[in-house]
Amino acid sequence: MRKKELKLVVTFHTTADAMAMEKACREQAVPGRLIPVPRSVSAGCGLAWCAPLEERARLSEMMQKIHIGEEGLFECVL
Amino acid sequence: MNLSDSKKKLALAGIVCGLVAACLAYFGNPANMAFCIACFIRDTAGALGFHSAENVQYVRPEVIGLVLGAFLASVVTKEYRSTAGSSPMVRFVLGMILVIGSLVFLGCPLRMIIRMSAGDLNAWVALIGFVLGVGTGVFALKKGFSLGRAHTANRMNGIVLPILLAGVLVLAMAALLKSSESGPGSMHAPVLMSLAGGLIFGAFAQKARMCFAGSIRDVVLMKNFDLLTVIGGLFVVMLVFNIATGKFIPAFDTPGVIAHSEHLWNILGMYSVGFAAVLAGGCPLRQLILAGQGSSDSAVTVIGMFAGAGLAHNLGLAASGTAADAATGEIVAGSVPLNGKIAVIICIAVCFVIAFLNKRTEGK
Repeated sequence: MRKKELKLVVTFHTTADAMAMEKACREQAVPGRLIPVPRSVSAGCGLAWCAPLEERARLSEMMQKIHIGEEGLFECVL
Repeated sequence: MNLSDSKKKLALAGIVCGLVAACLAYFGNPANMAFCIACFIRDTAGALGFHSAENVQYVRPEVIGLVLGAFLASVVTKEYRSTAGSSPMVRFVLGMILVIGSLVFLGCPLRMIIRMSAGDLNAWVALIGFVLGVGTGVFALKKGFSLGRAHTANRMNGIVLPILLAGVLVLAMAALLKSSESGPGSMHAPVLMSLAGGLIFGAFAQKARMCFAGSIRDVVLMKNFDLLTVIGGLFVVMLVFNIATGKFIPAFDTPGVIAHSEHLWNILGMYSVGFAAVLAGGCPLRQLILAGQGSSDSAVTVIGMFAGAGLAHNLGLAASGTAADAATGEIVAGSVPLNGKIAVIICIAVCFVIAFLNKRTEGK
């Protein structure tokens, strides 16, 4: 079982953006994983990217590079 | 109350929804159809004159309650957001497919689970198609499928469907709409109980994000079982209810439960539903809930479901259930008409076209 800790959660406008984010992160070896959008963040049922807090700068840079606009950026215990 | 911070609470939400469905079945809803979104939309569409199949016309307060329950729950917890603009006409078509596929199988994914809990082996067969359909949708997502983003809309947009449905309920209470005198449309729980059941189910489904397609999508895509836990809770309650009331009959050709044993078409019907549900971002139940919490895109999908229900009966697409002949007592097997088979093939083809021609555009 995963240990719960504070994580960075990026939500997107579309599921396709989340999938594109996963692909880009895999290619760039940026740590993280796809998760269902945490209920505490949204009543929607899309996908989000969950990453260690220290990856914030790298993630922002990469999202700019591949033209993915975030819907929101949150810190959640997951 | 946060219903989603643990699997136990999610299961509890499913149990509450299961209890609602069991109560409605006990107090008069058709056997094995305690709570079916496609059937209930079909009945409501019939009451409004979208089709003229006389035995399936009745305004189902459950459908109205679901939308109003989700609306009220989202307003109270400040989650109501009026949004629109994500390929509405494509969603209209997906709504039609959701209901046409469901009426070929004879039930939406919610009723599939309820039928499974009553031992209907046809529903277990259909589950194969549903899972494959969701899997195909997930494959499309991985290939970049997108209907584009929704934008914040004027607050009134999201309130239109709840108001329209409340109006339908008022017309029904005033006996101004059609109502079946025989057949499934004549079988129902008391109106206020149905409405209360819909409100409770809608509120809990909104809080727990209950979605039959989403639950399987999350397992396939992320090995996440949260949403499946909700469905598990509902299934267990209905299973206990069916065993306790002697309605658990593990068989294929059970007369009177509104089901048929054409396995290929049970599979393909639910395949189209699973596929369309992933493309539309939720199963028929979830579309009603999203519409209630302000999504005009889902409201358009719901209108598409009404249109699909009308077509399903006007064009003879809907299947018939296995029944005992009233005079001879002989069992007459239910079947899918040729038109229904053609329609399902077209629905699947349309899903593929939608899935692979709507791609994500960078930065949009």
